[in-house]
Amino acid sequence: MEKAGLSCTIVLVKTTIIAFTLSILLCVGARAGLTWEQTQIELHPAVGDKEAVGHFKYKNTGDRPVRIKSVRTSCGCTAAQSQKEAIAPGDTGEVTATFKIGDRTGTQVKGVTVETDDRVHSNIALVLKTVIAQPLEIQPVLVYWQTGEEPKAKSISVKAAKDFPVKEINITPVNQNFETKITKMGNGEFKIDIQPRDTARPIAAVFTLQADASPKKFTVGARVANLAPSKATAVQQ
Amino acid sequence: MLKQTVALILLAFLPAIGEAIYYRHKVSWQSPVPPSETVTVDLARSWGDNAIWVDARPDNEFERDHVPGAIRLNEDRWNELLGPFLATWSPEKKIVVYCSTQSCNLAIEVARRLRNEAQIKDVFVLQGGWEEWLKKK
Repeated sequence: MEKAGLSCTIVLVKTTIIAFTLSILLCVGARAGLTWEQTQIELHPAVGDKEAVGHFKYKNTGDRPVRIKSVRTSCGCTAAQSQKEAIAPGDTGEVTATFKIGDRTGTQVKGVTVETDDRVHSNIALVLKTVIAQPLEIQPVLVYWQTGEEPKAKSISVKAAKDFPVKEINITPVNQNFETKITKMGNGEFKIDIQPRDTARPIAAVFTLQADASPKKFTVGARVANLAPSKATAVQQ
Repeated sequence: MLKQTVALILLAFLPAIGEAIYYRHKVSWQSPVPPSETVTVDLARSWGDNAIWVDARPDNEFERDHVPGAIRLNEDRWNELLGPFLATWSPEKKIVVYCSTQSCNLAIEVARRLRNEAQIKDVFVLQGGWEEWLKKK
């Protein structure tokens, strides 16, 4: 019984020594490579900004030069490049990731993968998180009726962002098939009622919505549609 | 020897478990899509005229080539391209959104916006995207 206990203790001691040695060796190996100031960046571009740029700064804290083999992004909307291709020990630099905002909304998370010739950390995953403020939140952007349905008005709710003061909104153009009415609800909120003159035949209209404080245009649609496929829909703008 | 191996494996698991707990809230840039919101090329093709194909890729890729009859709708010019899409849309039609495997979150995002902002039902992301469609052309 005592012998078994002793043998077990010896095994444990041996295991601990091996594990400790391995971890030391791994730590030494890990010294060769790039140290990143941050691997995740969150950006909050202003309303109207066309792009958001993140700077991922690095330093070669190892004792060997590191070469950046490639920089890839998870999306065609993001371009990334490294300031330097070869980084000498002690040298610093950055990977710049540029996210094209376009008409995107909400929180956009894009990945950047940096491939190096470092044996320990050959692939580094960087994350660019962009929180895009939507100047106007429109819900829904489409209202529709079935042919023969009672031509009652349907509403679209428009809400301005907190830091985007809106006094008025405009909906254009005037359409002969649909009537539109904007009601101010207060606190940057509006209600747009859209009503078809009749629902006897398929009709469609596309409207442009614009706030007084911004050149940005938004699209909303209205439609009277057949349930059966129909190609004879007249679009009027 | 066996005991040592087992003990080492268990020891190796400890930091892995620790890292998994520490990074449990780390964000991912790959949005998962439920299988019910995707469609295969074969099934989408079988819908024939009852499907509207939407190309979510950037303009230059659409101009190079696209699914015949597909409508361009990407997030670079969402507000400009939404109008022509809404004018074509019909409630009985299914929407098939695709992009390329290099940019496949684009189709997921466009599909999400059509569901949430336009409240359109029957919006599907094409499995394998443009490349899969080309393979089965």
